[in-house]
Amino acid sequence: MTRYIVRRFLWMLLVLFVVSLITFLLMHAVPGGPFDREKAVPPEILANLNAKYHLDEPLPKQYLRYLWDVFIPHISHIPPGTSLTDDHLINVKIGEKLWLKWMNFGPSYSSRSRTVNDYFRQQFPISAQLGTLALLVAVLIGIPLGILAALKQNTIWDYLGMGIAIFGVSVPVIVLGPILIWIFGVTLKWLPPTGWGAKPPFILGFIPSKLGPEFFKYAIMPSIALGLGQSALIARLTRASLLQVLREDYIRTARAKGLPERAVIFVHALKNSMIPVVTVLGPMFAALVTGTFVTETIFGIPGMGRYFVISITNRDYPLIMGTILLYAVILVLANLMVDITYAFLDPRIRLTD
Amino acid sequence: MSRKLSVALALVVTAAMLLSACATPTPQIVKETVVVTKEVVVTPTPVPKKVLRMNLGPGDVPTLDPSLATDVSSVQVIELTSVGLTRQNEETAAIEPGMAESWDISEDGKTYTFHLRKGIYWVKYDAAKGEVVQVLDCQGKPREVKAQDFWYGIIRTLKPETASDYAYVLAFAIEGAEDFNKGVITDTAAVGVKVIDDYTLQITFKEPAAYNANIAGMWVAHAEPSWLIEGDECTEARGDKWTETGFFQGYGPYTLKEWVHEDHIVLVKNPFWPGIPSVPQAKIDEIVFRMLEDTAAFAEYEAGNLDVAGVPIGDIDRVKADPVLSKELVIGPVLCTYYYGFNTKAPVVNDVRVRRALSMAIDRKALVENVLKGGQEPAQWFCRPGLTGCPTPKDYPDLGVKYNPEEAKKLLDEYLKEKGLKPEDLDLTLMFNVGVGHEKIAQAIQQMWKEKLGINVKLASQEWKVYLKTIRDPKATPQIWRLGWCQDYPDANNFTREVFSFGGSANPAEGGGVNWKNDKFEELVVAAAKEMDPKKRVDLYAQAEQILVYEDAVIAPIYWYTRVTCTKPYVKRTFSILGGLEHIEKWDIAK
Repeated sequence: MTRYIVRRFLWMLLVLFVVSLITFLLMHAVPGGPFDREKAVPPEILANLNAKYHLDEPLPKQYLRYLWDVFIPHISHIPPGTSLTDDHLINVKIGEKLWLKWMNFGPSYSSRSRTVNDYFRQQFPISAQLGTLALLVAVLIGIPLGILAALKQNTIWDYLGMGIAIFGVSVPVIVLGPILIWIFGVTLKWLPPTGWGAKPPFILGFIPSKLGPEFFKYAIMPSIALGLGQSALIARLTRASLLQVLREDYIRTARAKGLPERAVIFVHALKNSMIPVVTVLGPMFAALVTGTFVTETIFGIPGMGRYFVISITNRDYPLIMGTILLYAVILVLANLMVDITYAFLDPRIRLTD
Repeated sequence: MSRKLSVALALVVTAAMLLSACATPTPQIVKETVVVTKEVVVTPTPVPKKVLRMNLGPGDVPTLDPSLATDVSSVQVIELTSVGLTRQNEETAAIEPGMAESWDISEDGKTYTFHLRKGIYWVKYDAAKGEVVQVLDCQGKPREVKAQDFWYGIIRTLKPETASDYAYVLAFAIEGAEDFNKGVITDTAAVGVKVIDDYTLQITFKEPAAYNANIAGMWVAHAEPSWLIEGDECTEARGDKWTETGFFQGYGPYTLKEWVHEDHIVLVKNPFWPGIPSVPQAKIDEIVFRMLEDTAAFAEYEAGNLDVAGVPIGDIDRVKADPVLSKELVIGPVLCTYYYGFNTKAPVVNDVRVRRALSMAIDRKALVENVLKGGQEPAQWFCRPGLTGCPTPKDYPDLGVKYNPEEAKKLLDEYLKEKGLKPEDLDLTLMFNVGVGHEKIAQAIQQMWKEKLGINVKLASQEWKVYLKTIRDPKATPQIWRLGWCQDYPDANNFTREVFSFGGSANPAEGGGVNWKNDKFEELVVAAAKEMDPKKRVDLYAQAEQILVYEDAVIAPIYWYTRVTCTKPYVKRTFSILGGLEHIEKWDIAK
């Protein structure tokens, strides 16, 4: 098991390297640069900007510089938090005016006051909070609905549950969000229409420092808007999977042994039927916690989602690299967790190297 | 190891990986060396705080650093937290004294000597005390805003390593600044900015131009706190991060209380700002700027959580019909122009008759009323009326280009006859950047050209940055393209000359853009820049515009921008024409 995990981590490094290289090549292959504006930037100003961000260097050198800044620890005299071009995620003070620094993802070109690390520290946790809550909503609604539909197959409960699921899938956030805002925010004034109830700094880097009603007042609408569509997916998957498992031989055996129906369903059937559900939960988790552009924009949430889109339209190279790598890390880790969970859910699966 | 334990361990390891990826850096001990004595007791009254809640638009404000700002939201905050040597009146666009009480202009019109106001102090928000305090120097005396601070601000903007976008405005105008900005010279003494004494700053410009005083007041030429950015014996250097919450220092009618990135900015009244005729002391105690997308902001406005908000295009008809909202609605001018440019070297549009015909066949009034609906003004020329030096439709009703389908048809027929072509033979492409609004406009105009001239113009669109490359590429510039232009400083020079003179923003010397050169036009815009008589100046620009939009028909101006906003009735406000830059120190709340 340990060897398996270690091996997966080594694979992850390779994956990240490949992802970074492909992203780097693609983003430089797209026409247009970060400083192309409606007002043409005069050539001498452009030269200053390019020099500041090393964009005047040949591409291979730029890529190596990026790898160097991100992966290789440095020792530096520059105090952390004073320079946009020298901002590291990990800073360890090792002496008078001397720091050991690691992971500099570079400055953002479109914001002249922030670095990619600032987005990781301040925006990513908010997206992660929203994503986690939305996933919770999705699971808490989706799984019971799916079970209900499977157990009462072809009854009114099944049709009702799947009807709700179809509704959830077909009504996107862009429709559901403004409707919720209109009803609960503008008309009834029960909830604040937009905003987020937590701000940096966060406990352990991502937990809101005050997790009270004030936080949930802001979180409830976006979490439901975002989670509902996903819950529909989970419900349909749970239903299909449970129905299939219920036809397996070992379920028949369990019933033949005279086990009560409740034990058959919850102890034997449900655990195994969760495998396909857990499989989609991995990528779903990665997609939700790294931020969702539409939901965050509609509800005015200061998350990361916006920058997955905007960084590309802005040709904000370091931010493109940063967001893509973040997504890749989370996705790989989520899939690793999924694989580990498999072994727990189904005794037939063994993690071997 | 049992399986369950290893699972748990794996989870801990992955969780730790996750956490370390987003952990904040190890806290460092910050030496807070600025000792502050409480000198003035601020409003001890129990009067409820007046708080104004507004929206700055989605996404973070890019910067609060005057040297680096390029966009309206950044400049909006900067103009409230610091004041330039001169300041533009937001309702008339006229130049008024700002931090400079007065200025003398030398005989040759190039050297400006600015006399600074005394008794204006650097301030910062002290979170522990919950109030605005004066910044003290190393001797414990309040730091006054001095000529040296303006000198530092200008030089810092110009330094090549600052890589300021808007340095070009200063580089273009100030003696020696261009070479300094290029890195050709490194000696600051060669730049035409000199500190005569603590309260006197001298700026030498390249040309004796009417807009020199405007440029001296721009945000890129504001005073900046050198001790905070670079550090001194008693202040820790904050470098690039000097504009963050807790560090920021300013001297304008407001100062920064809190900046939660991507979410909101809170400005608090600066009680030490003495109030000057052009920038009075603020009446509103706090301004909360949210960062919301249009529709979200308008929902907050309707829920009563914002006091001022722009109206989303989709809601304009509903707001106009609503008995309450319609009373809160105001449509005001914005100093920007939307236009179509012609590549005068491209086939078909290389003939002026075709260009003029296309421009004259656009029914701008119908476009504004039926497609845009935001009260935009049909544009007859490029320079946005309201700017110093620009002609106005009131004074020049017949200037420029107007909708005239008969004349347009006649011009085109003449061209077609000469070439022996039929209207449907013409191969024309109109290109714009991807966007619902641009597409709607393009389709409407395509239809007008089809109906009035019988020609089929193809539409093409590209993603924004790709598009910008295309229209500036001498080999790829399409026949007809679209762009907009907004003021950097309120003068016709920033429009007519800086955009369309040879080598200008939409007329690159290497080709692309409009691909055009007309000596008469060049002479007129240079003469206009130097002309001191306001009336004669406007006339020179009018002549230049006539060449640009009619005689040579290099562009088809489409509309002049407006802004549709709703304001709660208890907000007493001014309406800025400066592209959304509000002078909130003049506003009040009377609930």
